[in-house]
Amino acid sequence: MLKRAWQHWLARRLPRDHQVQLNQRRIFILPSGYGVLYLVVALLLFLGGVNYENNLILALCFLMVSLFVMGILHTFRNLSGLTLRAGAARNGFVGGHGGLAVVLVSQGQPHRSVWLSWPGQDAQEVSLETGEEKTVWLNLALPRRGPVWSHRLRVESRYPLGLLRAWSLVELEHHCLAWPRPREEAASPWEGSGGTGGVGRHGSEAFQGLRAYVLGDSLRQVDWKGYARGRGMNTKLFDAEEGERLWLGYERLEGLPEEQRLALLCHWVLLLSEAGQPFGLRLPGVMLAPGGGDEHRLRALDLLALHGSEGGPR
Amino acid sequence: MARLYQVPSHARPWLTAAILAISLPQLLRGPLWQVLLLAVILLWRALMDRQRAPLPGRWIRLLLLLGTVGGIHLSFGRLIGPEAGTALITSLFALKYLELVGRRDAYVLIIIGYFVCATILLFQQGFFVFLYVCLCLLLLTASLVGIHYNDSQARARQHLGKAAVLLLQAAPLAVVLFVLVPRLPPLWNVHTDQGQARTGMSDTMAPGQVSNLAESSAIAFRVQFDGEIPPYRQRYWRGLTYSWFDGRTWSQARPDDWGDELTFYSGRGEPPLWYRDLLERAADRPYWGYQVIMAPSQRRWLYALNTPVPEFDGLVLARDRHLVATEPVTGNFRYRVRSYTGVPLTEPLAPDQRALMLSLPEQGFPRARELAGQWRRQYQHDSALVSAALSWFRNEPFHYTLSPPAVGPDVVDGFLFNTRRGFCEHYASSFVVLMRAAGIPARVVGGYQGGEANPMGRHLLIRQYDAHAWAEVWLPGRGWVEVDPTAAVAPERVELGLRGSLSQAGAARIPGDGIGRLPVLFQLRQWADLLEFRWQSWVLGYDLERQNQWLSRWLGAVTPWRLALLLLTLAALLVLATALIMFRGRGPRSATPLTREYRRLARGLSKRGVRGAERLSAAQLCERLERRWPAAEAAALAWRETFERMAYQQDSAPSIAALRTLRRQRRRLLRACR
Repeated sequence: MLKRAWQHWLARRLPRDHQVQLNQRRIFILPSGYGVLYLVVALLLFLGGVNYENNLILALCFLMVSLFVMGILHTFRNLSGLTLRAGAARNGFVGGHGGLAVVLVSQGQPHRSVWLSWPGQDAQEVSLETGEEKTVWLNLALPRRGPVWSHRLRVESRYPLGLLRAWSLVELEHHCLAWPRPREEAASPWEGSGGTGGVGRHGSEAFQGLRAYVLGDSLRQVDWKGYARGRGMNTKLFDAEEGERLWLGYERLEGLPEEQRLALLCHWVLLLSEAGQPFGLRLPGVMLAPGGGDEHRLRALDLLALHGSEGGPR
Repeated sequence: MARLYQVPSHARPWLTAAILAISLPQLLRGPLWQVLLLAVILLWRALMDRQRAPLPGRWIRLLLLLGTVGGIHLSFGRLIGPEAGTALITSLFALKYLELVGRRDAYVLIIIGYFVCATILLFQQGFFVFLYVCLCLLLLTASLVGIHYNDSQARARQHLGKAAVLLLQAAPLAVVLFVLVPRLPPLWNVHTDQGQARTGMSDTMAPGQVSNLAESSAIAFRVQFDGEIPPYRQRYWRGLTYSWFDGRTWSQARPDDWGDELTFYSGRGEPPLWYRDLLERAADRPYWGYQVIMAPSQRRWLYALNTPVPEFDGLVLARDRHLVATEPVTGNFRYRVRSYTGVPLTEPLAPDQRALMLSLPEQGFPRARELAGQWRRQYQHDSALVSAALSWFRNEPFHYTLSPPAVGPDVVDGFLFNTRRGFCEHYASSFVVLMRAAGIPARVVGGYQGGEANPMGRHLLIRQYDAHAWAEVWLPGRGWVEVDPTAAVAPERVELGLRGSLSQAGAARIPGDGIGRLPVLFQLRQWADLLEFRWQSWVLGYDLERQNQWLSRWLGAVTPWRLALLLLTLAALLVLATALIMFRGRGPRSATPLTREYRRLARGLSKRGVRGAERLSAAQLCERLERRWPAAEAAALAWRETFERMAYQQDSAPSIAALRTLRRQRRRLLRACR
């Protein structure tokens, strides 16, 4: 009950955003355990000073307390003004881990020893000097298929004295896609020419020519012989006729439950990509034109991950 | 989150420096083995940090711990008590450094550091000592900053800078707390006097005791006068009187039937007759008003000019007009006194008191007795006899010296007729013996004479080497009269003080610092002394009473509510001011003047219901304004032209005049939008 109210309050106070700059609305600050111990020591010194009627021990105690108070300002300032931006995402299979990049930007002042963590995770420490920008990759567990949204990110700092911890709970517009876990089944979702027998079938396709290698092209189609002769990195293009195109179709797996179908499709996407076999993918409402290469494979996997959640990823 | 955390290498210099600085006062005071222990620990640590030595195992650490505790017990005879406790915690502090691995160890180390800092102040409280402790605090803070900045970019110097900033910002708040936080009375009794050497005059006086004091330039007490400082020859700081002589040693005594209630008056209850008499005769007489700050002496004697009427606060007045503290003086003890001049002690001598003041040992000093008898026959009046005795001292070849030769078994005759070289105690003692032998009641007075005046602070500094002994004789009709036989022998001792008299006599040995007489250094020493004096009276002596006094000047009545309110207000103001300084120069200020101008317009418009102006271009904004307020079209156009011209004119920064134009046009536009 209390927890829900807290979450609700947090959601209103710190709404999810693509980019967040920490300010007094977003930063919380409390003494750390060590800070409490420090204050207890100051109290002991106060008692000692009173008892021995020693004004200088009292002065030492007051100096310690004042240091603590000024520590509040400094600890707060160490976080304040820090900008966090949602960076790139690395998707992964269900049950594995994805990665999310958080970009930290410092504007006008350094931010030292900032700890970033998701609940239950070890923190990553990062320090920024004035005007610096750093990217931190955080692992995200992927428990189920579809878009997995990041948790509230805990941004914490105890610099400079460690007597106080200032922290913020930031929710960035930020998610990973969890691809279905590939699974082999008897049923086959493909149609058209090719198929399993088509592994390594490039020879039968008409060689069309070369074009410059683009990031994302399958490494299997690189003209390695030409590369070795120093002609640069080129990708071999093959002309597969329309009829020879391979299609993976969701609708061809009638009778299987939804997740199982997706798992099977995923298996085939990986298999065909491994083999360098171009393929197209049909899902209810979406179609991916036939193609090959890493980029194509990732697009296909993302489509599988997003299946059923088109109505707004949440 | 179990993180193996090594304390970063750039934090370690500060940790090491903090340990050295904090341990130093104890090392100077304590046994030698503590120095060796710290040296071994620092060396081992340095080797460990360079991977040349392993972390000491559990058994070695246990052995070191037991060895340290045993060593403390051997050196101090116990483990508790201020000295032993301080020595113990200082060594444990150093030992902890040996097993430092993670941040948690550093935490413990630093926390112990604060305690050790406090123990330094337990023994020394000078201004410079406090500055030193502040330096220790700075090093501890730098260590804290260092262990919380775990980055390879970090540099050790940064930590010290950060710590210095923090400490400087904390200082004003600490001052406010110091002044305003109520001083509480002690919660339970503590005794710090055990095992500390007592200094100053002792309750007995044997030959050589006062001259021992003359070796020390330690401060006995300081006096702040309300008005002028009395001339040198009048500065006889009376401490205690010695009335009983056993042939060698003088000691305090009073007649058998004088109880405490007859002898002492504490200011409470019915004042005794002698005190009422004193007040009566002192009324309308001139007096010296002053405040004395007694340095810790571990004794109860207090010092004042004759004839003192003190403010009764922790002290009592004795019947023979000396002051006694109710507790041994363990800290700086302050008291106020008015000393009335020309009010001799005229009370008649009771028979048993007279008997005491004439008492001499049965045996000894035949020649002195003979001389006294001769004077007695020669002079009828006691005062004439006293003058004769003084001129005898003046005319015979007596010498004033700090290092008198050995006198022999009969200290009086040996001194008076053989060696004739002595210090004030020899003169006072033998003079009183002569007087008593001649039938004049007399006693020895111990105290200090003189004192160094500090022209800057209207205060006197009395050091141990100003210790002095003189005599008092009881003359019929005049009461007790002070007589200083030393003045007869060495008048410069009373005019110039010990240093003056010794340097005039060409004596090679001047106690204390020889270079202190150089003019520049003398000036410096006086400044330092003034500083210490102010420190004593303003900071160390800032107790409950002074706090109330001081605060009531500002607050009227000091009520807890007012105090709390004042404290919170001042603290909040200070924190706010610090925050303003810290956060200045951030945010809008970093924008260009043109951007700021645009923001001002957007703010003005948002008050008029146009939201989100900051996200529009100047052209878009003007279009919106014209649609909403057609009358503002001309003003909007003029503003927009100026703004865009300035925005695209990138080769030079906008001139002040242009900015002023823009500001005017902005105001006109805002006026038109309504």
